[in-house]
This record gives sequence, structure tokens and C-alpha cells, in this order.
Amino acid sequence: MDQKLIRNFSIVAHIDHGKSTLADRLLQRAGAISDRDLKEQVLDDMELERERGITIKASAVSIDMPVDGETYMFNLIDTPGHVDFHYEVDRAMAACDGALLVVDATQGVQAQTVANAYAAIGNDLEIIPVINKIDLPGAQPEDTALEVEHVLGIDAEHVQFVSAKTGEGVEELVRAIAKVLPPPKGDAGAPLQALVFDSVYDDYRGVICYLRIANGTIRKGQKVLLMGRARHYVVTELGKFRPAMTPVASLSAGEVGYMVANLKKLQDVTVGDTVTDALAPAAEALPGYDPPAQMVFCDFYPAGGEEYSELRDALNRLSLNDGSFTFQPENSDALGFGFRCGFLGLLHMDIVQERLEREAGVDIVQTAPSVSYEVLLRDGKVQRVDAAGDLPTPDKIEELREPIVETQMIIPAESVGPIMALAEQRRGEYKSQEYLSPQRVMLTYEFPFNEILYDFYDKLKSATRGYGTMDYHVVGYRASDLVKVQLLVNGQSVDALSFICHRSAADRRGRRILHRLRQEIGRQLFEIVLQAAIGSKVIARETLKPLRKNVTAKCYGGDVTRKRKLLEKQKAGKKRMKTIGRVDIPQKAFMVILEPED
Amino acid sequence: MTTSAEIRSLYVHVPFCHTLCGYCDFYSQVIDRRSVAPLVDALLLELQQLAAEHEIAIETLFVGGGTPTTLPPEELSRLLRALESLPRGEDTLEFTVEANPATVNSEIAGVLARHAVNRVSIGAQSFDPSELRVLERIHAPKQVVDTVAACRAAGIERINVDLIFGVPGQSLAAWESNLERVLELRTEHLSCYGLTYERGTPLFRQLQQGLVRRVDAEVEAEMYETTIDRLGAAGFGHYEISNFARPGRECRHNLRYWHNQTYAGIGPAAAGFVRGLRYKNVPDTAEYVRAIQAGRSPRIEHERLTLDRTARETAMLELRLIEGIDRRCFAERFGHDPMDLFRDAVAKHVELELLAVDEHALRLTRAGLLLADSVIADFL
Ligand SMILES: Nc1nc2c(ncn2[C@@H]2O[C@H](COP(=O)(O)OP(=O)(O)OP(=O)(O)O)[C@@H](O)[C@H]2O)c(=O)[nH]1
Ligand code: SF4
Ligand SMILES: [Mg+2]
Repeated sequence: MDQKLIRNFSIVAHIDHGKSTLADRLLQRAGAISDRDLKEQVLDDMELERERGITIKASAVSIDMPVDGETYMFNLIDTPGHVDFHYEVDRAMAACDGALLVVDATQGVQAQTVANAYAAIGNDLEIIPVINKIDLPGAQPEDTALEVEHVLGIDAEHVQFVSAKTGEGVEELVRAIAKVLPPPKGDAGAPLQALVFDSVYDDYRGVICYLRIANGTIRKGQKVLLMGRARHYVVTELGKFRPAMTPVASLSAGEVGYMVANLKKLQDVTVGDTVTDALAPAAEALPGYDPPAQMVFCDFYPAGGEEYSELRDALNRLSLNDGSFTFQPENSDALGFGFRCGFLGLLHMDIVQERLEREAGVDIVQTAPSVSYEVLLRDGKVQRVDAAGDLPTPDKIEELREPIVETQMIIPAESVGPIMALAEQRRGEYKSQEYLSPQRVMLTYEFPFNEILYDFYDKLKSATRGYGTMDYHVVGYRASDLVKVQLLVNGQSVDALSFICHRSAADRRGRRILHRLRQEIGRQLFEIVLQAAIGSKVIARETLKPLRKNVTAKCYGGDVTRKRKLLEKQKAGKKRMKTIGRVDIPQKAFMVILEPED
Repeated sequence: MTTSAEIRSLYVHVPFCHTLCGYCDFYSQVIDRRSVAPLVDALLLELQQLAAEHEIAIETLFVGGGTPTTLPPEELSRLLRALESLPRGEDTLEFTVEANPATVNSEIAGVLARHAVNRVSIGAQSFDPSELRVLERIHAPKQVVDTVAACRAAGIERINVDLIFGVPGQSLAAWESNLERVLELRTEHLSCYGLTYERGTPLFRQLQQGLVRRVDAEVEAEMYETTIDRLGAAGFGHYEISNFARPGRECRHNLRYWHNQTYAGIGPAAAGFVRGLRYKNVPDTAEYVRAIQAGRSPRIEHERLTLDRTARETAMLELRLIEGIDRRCFAERFGHDPMDLFRDAVAKHVELELLAVDEHALRLTRAGLLLADSVIADFL
């Protein structure tokens, strides 16, 4: 393949701006999918992606694209828009020379548009702004193009106006990709250097590595070296995604494809590693990536204690497919045996939980998610703590640090006041304010991550009538006056209900959470005392009197089955519960820690 | 218990009432003269069918509903005559008919007595006109007294009266005066039920809409405890969660249910338990009649019980009895001492003092009676 006719690019955008739909149109234009096979967002092939209508995992595809009498090879990567999966975008960009920055013409530049544009610039990609959804009545293509130029500093010379839905403008876009985006550099004759930019697990073939060939040529049967691991493998299959996996004999500089090489587990290969020839290795590896950082942690416990090994097997199986969550055994006095799991964000956490329950049929009791804190101990050591229960006692702690995220919010100008007030409440630190247009403002704040993790986005949405968007990334850790509020149920402290918060909020939150716990736990057969304490000092207390009466008066007419079913239902209500001491704690109780203040 | 006949107890469901009470979730409909004869015909056919397939030696009969006494006298006679002539078992027949105060006059009472009915269960519910209105009952308090008198005049001595406590707006004192009124009637049997708000009933909707308010759980608990004490003092034995009887006058038919024994049921919505099979008839009169006429089975639910499930159900039912689960009988029937079969549940509830255990039996304590559902759920 003539390298000059190859175009490697990713499609990036704010969530829902139409990346996957645009990919459909490109595939269709290339004839890679027949009109008959076309369903919407063909690259979103995971069941969960189709159910939720979002992209979770980046997909690469190679298509032959005839443009002005020449046949180009387009290697495109459709990426997810959600902030949890931002690392997928970063990975994709490292395998590309260009990017289509899709912007919804009815919404303009949004928070992830900004984040993705900067990432593309940082990766030295040539950017084509694609103003999408111009078929919609509310579309403002010209203004949106101006915004892209003005806000992101991207030259609007090559801007394209399209409707990924109707196909309008796609022809011009295809031509622009061919003319504007550069062909890959790299030397097919040099020693092999191929970047592993993603990997997936396949039940039959084992691990499939996504490769971008930077230099040299890779061939089927070749003995290769994974440079980071210093391990040798024989290439058993090479191919391209068209979009179905299609074997080829070789891939050379500039091309994108996949490799199968007897790798058994996802953990056997590091995404970002370099593949080179085992006999004539390259002098150095390509720059790789940082591994994805788990941002939130929570515990999963099997609702029935007996299902522990089912849960473990399910986690193992899932980690074959998703290398971006972590898990390790956890044993809680109150909740028994389970797992501490780390996720990229809350959406990721939900997805993993859903897949576990669905694929393993295990009911899970989940503790409230927590961010990861950093503790400077008196002895000078620094330790990570990702659950309140693991915090050392105060006498051992020199300093407690919390993760700080820089946050970009794009909001209507008239919402600046309310959003600033909201940011104040959440201990936000103002950084800057920039008018994208007379009507729209980008606010930058630093927040303790903990303060925006749960409901901040909902608050932002409601304070901006749905127009606000946000994006964040971790900038570091900062010391703060944090305390651990311990919750006790009938005198027994329950780590899973304890939480870390700023000292100034401890009393109020402690009281509110006890109040809510009281409602969720409900009266039981004996008295229940709930307490919140900082160290040995009790800051709040609630008492639940024992249940006085629970009896069906009538059991008549001989309809025994019905009566039994009613009682069984009452019992089944206890399924997703954990028993602490004798107290039944429903799943919802573990989540009250997350509820907003008002 | 010497006869080996399969069916010694029979329940007959008559799905008609004059008006429907707001709290009631029994299957019933407002009586419509034209549906009466076809229903009675169908009941008699189902009875014939039953007799053809099973050996019957009847010892307890219970005609419930609905309100059987809404049937016109000639139709009621037709039904009772057929029941009366079923083959008898060794125990003397206990033949109960449910009645509502506004539906029994001396004529109806006479019909009952003529056909061997020897026990009447009267749905009084309350003696307070305002409480009766909340319950949407049509009778006046005085009619309860008249009904009892009419039954006695006809020679039916065994009388039960049903009362409901925890009616919205009812105070503890108001309930106590209901108890005094019912004791004046000197019946041999009393049933006192805490009001249940059944899903799907008009009263339940009123509760959800905030039109009526639940009696405070604490007050309701006191009403129940007062009932136990007051009736005990008046010479009634408390033998099931909601049932009280003078010694030897317990309802034998209902005891069969509570011991999880075999019984047959006929009529729309009737349930039965025969040859280890639980079944239920379609709860729709027209559909029931059509099925019987066409020679189809009216049964819509079937459940064959495993031994384990039967054991659990038996525990569920027998725990409702004040004497509780007889350990020896249970072990003979199911091969396990209930102490072993329900070890965790027993340990938990004994510790909570809701359950008492001795060498003979497992029974709810006084506190346990109030929380029976919570305890029993752990036995399922
Ligand atoms: N009217 C109109 N709707 C569009 C257009 N492009 C995409 N959509 C719709 O916008 C919604 C989101 O489209 P997707 O292609 O899933 O967006 P995405 O950017 O891939 O979303 P994520 O992967 O979740 O970030 C879908 O309902 C599409 O049908 C367009 O040009 N016009
Ligand atoms: S009379 Fe009895 S069966 Fe009929 S509706 Fe009232 S409570 Fe229900
Ligand atoms: Mg998508």
C-alpha cells in the first residue's frame, strides 16, 4: 500500500455530538457496509453500548476510500465522548496523524470538545473541525464554526459542515480528509516499531492487539518482541478491521490493524508497549501511555455470602475484557468477604456492576464510591487510602490530602452567578472565566474531586436548564482539614457506612445521614441505635424503636399459597441486604452517603 | 382421625354480596339475580365431579364468600341440600355458613337449620355506626343482635362473630366498647381481626390518597393485647392469632387449614389442597360457570408441593396457632424435628423472645404474636 494514500485519524467530540453516526456515513461511503446491513452506530457493537446509546470503547476500522480516482486507505477510530473514558481518546490519538473534531451545530463547543481539542493539539494532530447536525432546525453552523476558531484557536479554513444523519456534506468531508490530513510518516524499510494502542480479549484467539505500525513491516509468522515486557511471541495472525476482522499477510509503516500472538490474558500485554522484530529489534521503544488511572473505588459484596466465589470468577472474567478496572479481595467485619474495586469514574462503575450482575447472576451489595486520598503519616511515609475504613487512626496522621481536579464548565452567561455560588459551596477555587460568545462562558475551577463526584453534574445541569457541560482532570493532591466520620449500628462501627469529609461539614452531614439511614433501615424486631462519631466523640444519634406489630390477621378460605407468597415476598425484599449484628441493612442505605445536601 | 377417606373437609365459595365493602379483597360481586341459578348449578356439578373422583367422608363443611346468605332461600336450600347429603365421616359434622347481619332473617335462619347447618359465622365487624360507615358495611349495629337471636331461635347454637379493630378513626376505648358489646351476645366463638389494607381495594386507595389514616401502630398493638386479655377474662381460649373460643368450641374446619391438612374447595376463587396438590379456581363467576358447563376444569393454579415446602408451609400455618408446632407430630409427618429443620430461625427468634420452645412444642410468645409475619417469614 502506498503510504501516501493512508490517512490515520480519530473522530473525537463531546458526548452525543455524532461521532459514531458520522463513522456510519464514512463506512457507507466506502462501501464497507452495505445499506442493508446498516444499523445505527455500527461501531457501537457491545450490548451495553447499544442499550445505552453511547460509545464506551474506541473502535478502529480500515476502509478503502475512492477519492478523485485514487483509492485511499482510511484508518479511523471512533472514540467515546464520556469523561470516564477519556483515556481511550488519548490512546487513539497516539495512533493517528489527524482528528475530526465533531461539534454539534445546535450546541456549539462543549466541555469535552475543549478537552479533546487540546488533546489533539497536544498530540500534534492535524484537526478538521466538523460542524455536525446541520439538518436540525436549531443548527447554527456559522456561529459554531466561529466558536471553534475563537475558543479553540483552530484555523477554520478547513471546517466542514455535515449532517451525519442525512449524509449532507460527507462527500466534501471525505475529500478534505484526503487533501488536508497528512499521510503517516515512518519508514517501511526501518526496523519494526508498532504501537499497541488497544487490546481486546476474544474467547477463541486470546488477546488481540491493536497495532499502529510506526516503522518497518510486520508479517505473519514473524518472531516479535514486546519491548516493555521483554517477551517473545510468534505472530499467528495479522489483519485489518473492515470493520470485521480480516486477515492480511503483513502490515507496514503507517498502517493500522491487529495482531494475534498467543497472548492469553489482557494482563500479558501493556497497552502502549512497542512490538519489534525479535531478531533485528529497533533501538528504542515508542513513547507509550500512562496506564488509565482508577479515580473512584467501592466495595462489591455478594448479597448472599455464599456467592463469593461466583463473584470472584465473574470479576476475573470481566477483567479479561476490561483492563481498566481493578479489584482485590476485601474483608469487612460488618459485611464479610468481598472486593475493593477501582474504576475510571461513576459511569464506568455502573457499567461494571451491571455487567457483573448480568453475566454472573450475582446480586451485589455495593458500598458508596470514594475517591482515593493520600495520607502523610507521622513516620514520613505516604499512603493511598481509597475507603474511609482504611484510614489510619488520627494519631498516626500528619496530613491528609485529597485529589484536586481542574474543571471546565461551559454554561450560559446568565448562569454564572448560580454556578459560582454552587462552586463556593463545593469548596471550589476560582481559576478563570472566558466568554466563548456573548451568551456562553467557560468557567475554570479547581475542586476537591470528592465534592463534584456524585451530584455536581446534575446540579450544574439544573442550574443551567440543561445547557451546562463539564469536563475535569486530576491535577494533584492537596492537604485539607478532613475528618473521618464513623457510623455505628448498635455500637458496632460499620466502615462501609463511614465517610471522609471536610471538618466544617461533619456535624451537618453526620446528622443528615443518620436521619436518612433511619428511614432506609426501618424498624426491625429490636431497638436499633445509630450513631455518627469522630474518633470517640459522638456527633449525632438516632434511635429506632422496635417494630411493634407485623401480623396478617386473616389466613382464611384456605388460600395458603397466596399467604405464603406474600411472606416470601417480604423475605425476598431482604435479598439485597447485608446483616450487621442482627440489623438488616438494605442496599439503599449504603448509598445515602452520596445523597445531596438538600 | 381414623377414616382413610381423602376428603373430609370442604369449602364452598359463594361469590355474591349485597354491596361490596371497601376493605374487602375476597372475590365477590354484587348479587345479580340472573347469575344465581347458573352458579348453584355449577357448584352442584363441581361437587358431583369431586365425588366421582375422590372418596368423600365429610366432617367439616364451610360455606363462605362473599355472603352465602344473600342467595334467595330456594337457591340456598338447593345448595345446602346437596352438601347435607354428602357421605359423612366419623366425626360429627361441623357445618358452618357465613352470614351478614343484614341478610339473615328468621326465614333464612330456618333454611340453614333445616339443612343441618349447625354453625353460623356472622360478619359484624363493629357495633359503632361511624366505624361501619368507614368499612362501608350496610347493616346497623342492632341487626347483629337480631341475627344472633334469629339463629338461636332456629336452633343453631354455635355462633361466631367477626370483629375488626384498627378501623380508621377508632380509639382504644371505642374498641373496648365493641368488645363489651360482643361479649353481651354470649356466643361461643369470636374472631378479632386487625384491619388490613389490601392492595387494590377502595380502602387502600383512600389510604394512599390520604383520605383515611391508619390507626397508630402502638394503639393497634394495644387493641390486640387488650383483646387477648379481655376475652381471656371472659372465659375464651385464644387458639389462633385472631381466633377465640370457649373450650372445645374451636372451629374444626379452620383448624384443618392451620394444620395444613387436606381439604377440597369448590366455587369461583376457591382453593383446595388434595393429594399434595394445591389448586385454585378461576376468580371470575362467569368464567367459572362457563368452564363447568363446558366440562373444562375451572382450576387456574396448580402447585404440587414437595415435602420440604409442605413442611415449611405447615410451620407457617401452625405457628399461627397458640399451641404452636407440636414437635412430635411434625417429626412424624416430615421426618425432622422442627428444631433441626429451622435451626437458624428458631435461634434468632428465641433470642429475641418472640418464640418459645419446650420439649413438646414451638410457639410464638405474646410479643411474637404481634410480629408473627416477621417470625414466620424466616421459616419459609
Ligand atoms: N438530526 C441529527 N441527529 C444526529 C446527527 N448526528 C448524530 N445524530 C444523533 O445524535 C445522537 C448521538 O449520536 P452518536 O453518533 O451516538 O453520538 P456520539 O458522539 O458517538 O456519542 P458518544 O459516543 O456517546 O459520545 C443520536 O441520536 C444520533 O442519531 C445529525 O447530523 N443530525
Ligand atoms: S360482605 Fe364480606 S365478602 Fe362481601 S364485600 Fe363485605 S366483607 Fe367482603
Ligand atoms: Mg459514539
